[in-house]
Amino acid sequence: MGAVTYPDERVAKFLSLNFVPVQIQSANTALMQRFAVSWTPTLLVLDADLREHYRAVGFFAPDDLIATLLAAKGKWALGTDQFVEARALFEEVISSHPDKDAAAEALFFLGVAKYKMSHDPKPLRETYDELKARFPQSTWTKQADHYRLISK
Amino acid sequence: MAIEICWLDDLAKAQETARKVNKPIFLDFYNPQ
Repeated sequence: MGAVTYPDERVAKFLSLNFVPVQIQSANTALMQRFAVSWTPTLLVLDADLREHYRAVGFFAPDDLIATLLAAKGKWALGTDQFVEARALFEEVISSHPDKDAAAEALFFLGVAKYKMSHDPKPLRETYDELKARFPQSTWTKQADHYRLISK
Repeated sequence: MAIEICWLDDLAKAQETARKVNKPIFLDFYNPQ
């Protein structure tokens, strides 16, 4: 990550604009244990109370990291009850990174954000239909399968 | 001039900043070797 992804100017700009970036060396065993980290790189997205909203392990190429962390920021917004921002972030992932793995996850959580804003289950059904059409092989489509029981 | 990531290494400082600017913390555990 330090050799390829972080020196990429798009990544640097994206992280600086959207996150408070923190790096901790694996030698810091206290924090490794505090966050149950057993391998590097481990990437976490936390809120200001250090509650975890996203976790990934392993290497990400620059484009993949940006798409993934945009969806992760959406999950942070969702988890901190900022539903309008969450919705906008998930929509941005879907429109700007439609071919990335993160797009299917963003579509799943876009349905969740819409439901939380309206308490109307129809967006969950629409999410399932769109996932099935656009990402038929995705685990997110399987994980949304029960939404097909919601009437249109 | 190239943009570089301004990494913090202090979680307490990161929490304070995250609260002030309403942004999430991106925490990267890495092995420098």
